[in-house]
This record gives sequence, structure tokens and C-alpha cells, in this order.
Amino acid sequence: MNYDVLVIGSGIGGMESALKLGDMGYKVLVVEKEASVGGKMILLSKVFPTLDCASCISTPKMASTIHHPNIDVMTYSEVKEIKRNKAGKFEVTVLKKPTFINENLCTGCRECEMNCNVAVPDQFNFDMVARRAAYIAFPQSVPKKAVIEREGTSPCTYTCPAGIKAHGYTALVRGGKYEEAFNLVLENAPLVGSLGRACYAPCEGECARGRLEGPISIRRIKRFVADEYYKDHVQPAYGVSEERKDKKVAVVGSGPAGLTAAFFLARKGYPVTIFEAASEPGGMLRTAIPSYRLPKDVVDRDIRNVTALGVEIKTGVRIDDLNELKDQGYEAIFVASGTHGTRKMEIEGENLGGVISCIDFLREVNLGKDVSLKDKTVVVVGGGNVAIDSARVAVRLGAKKVIVQYRRSRAEMPAHDWEIQAAEDEGIEFEYLSTPVKYTGSGGILAQVESIKMELGEPDAGGRRKPVPVKGSEYRTEVDMVITAIGLEPETKAFQKLLQVNSNETLVVNPETLQTSVPHVFAGGDVVTGPSMIVEAVGQGRKAAFFIDCFLNDESLEGVHAREYEYKMPVVDKDKVIARQQNYRKLIPVANNKTLLSKDLDFTETELPLTEEEARYSAGRCLDCGVCSECQTCVHTCPAKAIDLSMKEEKKVVEVGSVIVSTGFNLFPAKLKPQYGYGKYKNVITGMQMDRLLSPTRPYNTVLRPHDGKVPENIAYVLCTGSRDQAVNNSLCSGVCCMYSVKQNQLIMGALPLADVTVYYIDVRAFGKGYEEFYQQAKDMGANFVKGRIAGIREKDDGNLTLFYEDINNGGKVMEAEHDLVVLSVGLLASPDAKNLFQNASLETDEHFFVKEIDEDISPARTSIEGVFVAGAASGAKDIPDSILHAGAAAAQAAAYVERTRMKK
Amino acid sequence: MDGIRDVREIIREEMVMRDRILEVLQEGSKTVPEIADAIEYPSPEVMYWVMGMRKYGYVTEDGQTDEGYFLYRPVKEEAK
Repeated sequence: MNYDVLVIGSGIGGMESALKLGDMGYKVLVVEKEASVGGKMILLSKVFPTLDCASCISTPKMASTIHHPNIDVMTYSEVKEIKRNKAGKFEVTVLKKPTFINENLCTGCRECEMNCNVAVPDQFNFDMVARRAAYIAFPQSVPKKAVIEREGTSPCTYTCPAGIKAHGYTALVRGGKYEEAFNLVLENAPLVGSLGRACYAPCEGECARGRLEGPISIRRIKRFVADEYYKDHVQPAYGVSEERKDKKVAVVGSGPAGLTAAFFLARKGYPVTIFEAASEPGGMLRTAIPSYRLPKDVVDRDIRNVTALGVEIKTGVRIDDLNELKDQGYEAIFVASGTHGTRKMEIEGENLGGVISCIDFLREVNLGKDVSLKDKTVVVVGGGNVAIDSARVAVRLGAKKVIVQYRRSRAEMPAHDWEIQAAEDEGIEFEYLSTPVKYTGSGGILAQVESIKMELGEPDAGGRRKPVPVKGSEYRTEVDMVITAIGLEPETKAFQKLLQVNSNETLVVNPETLQTSVPHVFAGGDVVTGPSMIVEAVGQGRKAAFFIDCFLNDESLEGVHAREYEYKMPVVDKDKVIARQQNYRKLIPVANNKTLLSKDLDFTETELPLTEEEARYSAGRCLDCGVCSECQTCVHTCPAKAIDLSMKEEKKVVEVGSVIVSTGFNLFPAKLKPQYGYGKYKNVITGMQMDRLLSPTRPYNTVLRPHDGKVPENIAYVLCTGSRDQAVNNSLCSGVCCMYSVKQNQLIMGALPLADVTVYYIDVRAFGKGYEEFYQQAKDMGANFVKGRIAGIREKDDGNLTLFYEDINNGGKVMEAEHDLVVLSVGLLASPDAKNLFQNASLETDEHFFVKEIDEDISPARTSIEGVFVAGAASGAKDIPDSILHAGAAAAQAAAYVERTRMKK
Repeated sequence: MDGIRDVREIIREEMVMRDRILEVLQEGSKTVPEIADAIEYPSPEVMYWVMGMRKYGYVTEDGQTDEGYFLYRPVKEEAK
């Protein structure tokens, strides 16, 4: 679509230009970066000198702009580039930011905003109050449509292999919404309790708060959520899916991957049967992880989340022939048989009684076999988490001495540091740079381990320094048991006649879809990845379910579907997150408390849960990296089903004949006058903030002190804050500060009849029609005008403020005055928005960086670029009547230019 | 940390503080300084939270004291 004129910005100037051009019959495109048209005027209380309601004047223009037949408006959009093409027209690139709301469905009801769980400063109320990540800009917004502020995917959520919305459930816990938090985790993983205890929490490794005092305890928050939910829900609150499908699916293995795949397939209505070789379901959750880390009743409850959907689990059934399942009518198979094999050390004596693999050892203990190591000496070989688990279990079974032998040093140990620390606390000895070379015994029973000392040599292919035996350093240890934990591998021999297998025994799959070379067979979890994290297996299970569903629906597994499954917004830059705040309150993470160690360790869970207070405190440390937490509350509460979190930005290129720059102005940042204490003293506010307080859509219930909510009684105005001030390199008189202050004086005296108002000024510039009378009216109403510039402001204990000023009309003495609220009448600065938009032409600016009018006296609104015009305060500080007049001139200029260029053709 | 806290951080905490403030207001309507005393936080921070809660329908005004402070009370759930 091509337009006659592009108008950049939809403040009063932009709207006026667009409306005039539209009325003349020109096709106009208005581009506005905010979610509503209206600019700053709509945020004002009233206009001077008539004291007409700003909203009453603005809103008809806003509605007319949006609904005008000749005007198209792109809100929440930004012009990225303008360049003149060979035909002499302007080619404009516009980026429409995703609002994540379907505009056609949104009714503006604010349910999303009212239920949103992320609070951020409200820029439309100049940070005096919160808004939500999901919000409607302000009550008179046109269009009245919500937007969701999303800066990207939060690092915690982005990094989770299962796609669990860690930021989302953290935000829900922060707000005390525990059940919602549980249900949010359940959307991606049925094993909420197990993950809350045994997940290695890659989310915490990416937490931006880790750059401050330490990451948020995301995993323990999840455990809190699960514990709270399971306390009240012994059984899941749902049953078999109402959607029923007739194609049966078989899942081989009931570990995290298998359970998760079954869960998601059953939710879609598929009849699912899980075949489990062990006597009880749960895979590694059940057989490998000791119950002091993961109590088995938690695993049972997690599994009920799956079986409640009608999933049948057949235990004690080992599947070796996948074709049999096909013959039994299963139309898709998911192989998730895990890594239940262990690598051999291939050393002498490995078959002696008393030498056992870690997996066999842990399985026996976890499945309830009566194992006692009372007064025994145990050597555990290996340095991973399973080795540590084995050692700690051995201690609990009564071993008098447990030694972990690891061939590298502690620094290279793959086990997590906190696991090693816990083992040390429990009295386990570590022999680093040592490895067994031979097991000896008599009568087929182990008696000794012969080990050798190692030293670290050159780095291997993986970058770790390779251990090298030290000649002659052999030593012997009398032992009763050796537990080998040098690596796990899948047992896939039985599948080899049907499926492709890698050299490390893992199954070959398409990594995008988890489909094997046999179309109806999918595989995932450790049997594909090798030993990994629970959450990785959960992610694979969910992914497999997605693609098995596609397969059973005869849909393509490539292309669109794959992208839909994987789509996440790009991850937020943590540096940018940290830079959002000037400073941070120190919030120390809750200590990871353990149960008190006693001499007789048992299998009682060692990690103490977070209390409710600790959980909310921990969640309260979240920095809301992505802004929106993806907690899905808006999705669930929107009555119009208008939320679309998959929305993406759109780039649009249009051709226009002429451009009107109407990008308005910026307010002087009052913090640049530190002697006035803005930002430090809460009762020092800006004129714009006072305008918001006086507006019908004010952030407070009336004009109140931000310090304590008291109705002010003695208000001071400091004129020329940041204008006519060489100290801040701005000699410009903004032209409006005197009059908007006088306007506010009158409104305050109307709203707060008992309040005194004092205005500290250099001189009052009342130059427009009716302005002098307006100024006199304020004085007559009781406003006190004191000639003198404020040198400094100090805060008192009660929030009142002492102002120091030169009393010019009374001999120039330095005086002090106390007020309970100070308003800084900040000046207007140029907006830099338009300066760099033009690619092959230069948009010149004046000495104050406003867009320069090259022939202001006789050809207003013309800029240094032929065909580009400026409207309103983008060309210089202006009051509203002047802005409207100027915008009319810009419209006329643009229309004339369009006609003139047409005539040339 | 000494001095003024970042507004973004204070506002973010509204979600954590909301229930504590509502709990305090169960005892009866209170002014911002009274709430601040009860939850032991500075009144400028409580002002952000109470005004956020007011905007989103959790509290409302309930009269004014002679000292010029408004009292706030919880909004009943069904009225929200």
C-alpha cells in the first residue's frame, strides 16, 4: 500500500496534520511508537489558559484519527528507515512490534492486566505507580487494546530443556498463586515433585540474579509448589481426557522421558501403555536416585499425574522385539529405556563377589532389598553424581568406612560441588588422583583393591587433563565391597535388528523430531542422549509426544511443525536486565538447609523445604528478565481468547510522497539538577507528574505526597528547571513551563482549597493570548510568586523540604522556606527520534537539536529535506495552540508538495 | 544498600507485599504511614504498593484523618 503522506508521531501535532490531510482527501499513514495515539497531551489534566479538559479535547481527535477513512494508523510501531527512491518518493520501513494480543478479538476489558503477575513502573504515570506487563496504556487509549510487554524469553525459561516456564511459576509464587504455579509446571512436565528435588536446575545457572548475590532458588520454589499442591491433592484434579483417539501408542520405559511422553499423548486422547522392565515404575527416579534425595512417595504421586489420564503401566515386562508391539496394534512406539547398563573397567578381579555396579547397587537398595554394609569398608570408583549417590547410600547402610577413588582431582570431578560437599560432611573419604588396577580376593570373594596414584598430564580431546599413572605408586586397600560408577550406557542390543545404534549404544534418531529410521518408532531420553539430566529426558518426552501426534495425524514432521514446537522469543540479554536498575537492594538467597547430621544416617530426605515465607521471598528476588513471565494467566483469563504469545514482529515497507515529522519533545530529566533532589527526595516531583496527579485518570486518589500519602498543604514550584540554564547546557526557554505551572496553581487551589502555593521564578513569560490574565488570575486566587532562583533543596525527617533561594525583590538575601511538596517545572528538550531515520539525506537540526525549519518565517514546517516537513513541538518548544497551528501549516506544505510533484509528472 | 532504592525494584515487590498489606488492613483501615509501621517498611515504598493495589482493585479509600492522610481498606473479593 502506498500513501501520499507519512506522519511520524501521533501527538496533538501529528493527529492535526493527519486529520487535515485526510480531510483534504490524501491517503495518510500515521506511525506511533506507543500502543495508543494521543502523545503527551492526553496525559495532561487541563489546558491553559482556558482550563478545558485535555482529555475532552484530545479524545475526539484520537478517535477521528483512528477511524478516518483516509488515515491508516500503525500503533506500537516504529519507523526504522526512510530513503528516497529513484522515482523521488520515500521508501519507508516500519517495524510493527508484537503486542501479543489479537487486536480483532481484544475488547479492552483489562482482564489480562488485572490478573497479570508482573509489576513494572507505569511510564504513562511517570513512574508514580505500577502498571502490569500486560496493560492498556491509559484509560482513554485509542485503540483501547491491551499489549503485553515482552523483552524476550527470560534466561531461566529459555535454558530449560523441558521448556518449563521457570520465570512464570516464580512470578506466580511471588504473588501467592501456588496452585496456578503447579499447573503451569504441569503444562510442560508431569514430574513436578521429582524435578523440584532432583533436577540439576540449569535455570539457576542462567539466572540473572546470579550476577548479584546468587541465583534464585528456582528448583526449591518448584519443590515448594509441588509440596503445597500434593498436600491438598492426593490425586490429580483431572481424569481421562475428553478427547478420545483410537490409535494406540506404546512407550518402552517408565522413566522421566517415557512418563512425560505418555502424559502428553494421553492428554491428547491417545490410549497409551507403558512397558516397564522393573518391578516398579519410575525408571532412574525410582531405581537410581536415593530416597534421601527423592522420596519414593513423591515419585508415586508424580506418576499419578500420568496414570490419572488413563495411561496403563505394565511393570515387569521387558520389550526386546518392537515388532511385537506393532503386531499388538500399537501404531506408534516411543522407546525411552534409559541407560541401565554400566561400563566395565576391564581390570582383573572385576567378576569377584563384592564388586558391583552402581546401578545394580542402587536398584537393589531402592527397590527394597535388604542390604546391610554394617561395619564394612566400601570403595566407590568414579567421580560423577551416581558415584556420590552410591557412597552416601553405603554410609546409610552402615558402612564403617567409605572411600571414593577418582582418577583426577576434585576440580575435574563431574559431580556437583554441593553433592561432594554433602558426602564430605557425611564422613566419606576421597582419594583423588587414584584408580583401581586390580581386585583380589579368595574363594571368589573380594578382599583387596590394588590402586595406583595418578598425575594429570596433557588435556584430552574434551579439554580435561588426562590422568597418567605414577610408576611404582601402587597401594592396597582392604575392602568388603567395590561399587563401580565409571559410566552408564543404554542396553540397546535387542533393538539393533530394527533400529540404528551408535557406537556408544545410543539409538540414532532425527534430532528435530526424535523419529528413528523406522517411521512409527520414536526414541528419546537417555537411550538417545546418553546419561543426562531428568529435565532433559522430560523435554525429550514432551517433544516425542508432539511429533508422535503429528505422525499419527499423517502430518509432516518437518518444517512448520518443528518450528512451532521449538519457537521461543530470543533470550533476554542479562547485561541489559542488570542495567535496568541504578542500584539493587541486597537480597541474599535462602540458605540450602539440610537436616542435622546424626551419627546414624538414614534415608530421611536431607534437604529441608522452603517455608512459605522463604518461597515468596526467594520468588521476590526475581528480576523479571523478560518482563512478561509467560505465566499464562492472561491466556487463561482473557474472555475473548485474544492472547497470542507466539506473535512475531512484522516489517512493512511502504512508499509515500511526503513525510511529516511530528515526534514531539522530551522532558528535561530532573535528575540532572541534583541540588533539587529529584529521585532522592520523594516529595520532589516534576510538573508532568503533578499534571498526572491533577488529571481525572490520576495515579493516586487525589493530589498526595509520594512520601507518605499525605494531602499537601504548602506546595512550591521551581520554575525554569533545566531550561534557560547554562549549567545543564540548555539556554532554551521552553515557553510553556510558566503557564503550565500557573495552570496547576489554579487547579491545586481548586482541588485543595486549604493548600498554599508558592512559585519561585526568574520572570514569568505570559506571552500568548489570554496568558497574562491567566497569570493574574492565579495571583488573585492566592498563589504566591517569589522572584528568586532555588539554589538547593534539603529533605527533613518528616519528608518536608527546605528550599534555599535568593530573594531578589527583598535585597537578594539568601532565604530558607519549608514546603511539604515541591514541583519542578521542567523544561522541554528536543526528541532525537527522527534525526537518524533518513538514509540518503540529512535532516538538519537547530542549536537546541529540534528539527530545523530552513525558512521558518515565510515557509514554516519545511525542513532541510525536500518533501519532509516538521509539525508541532518537534520543531521547537511550543504550547498546544501553537502546535496545532504549526501542524496545520505542515499539512498544507505536505499537500502542496504532493500536488507539485504530481504536476511535474 | 544505603539511600533511595530503584523504583523498578520497589514496584516489582508489590506482588510480594500485597498479601502482607491486606493482612494488616484486616485489623482495620490504615493510612500509608500506619501500614508502613505495621510491616516495617519505609512509607515511600508502601505508597507505591498501596497505590498499585488501589489501581488494581485490592484497596480503596475509607475516609481521611485530621492530619490529612487517607485511610485505606481492603476491597471485598466479590466487589473487585
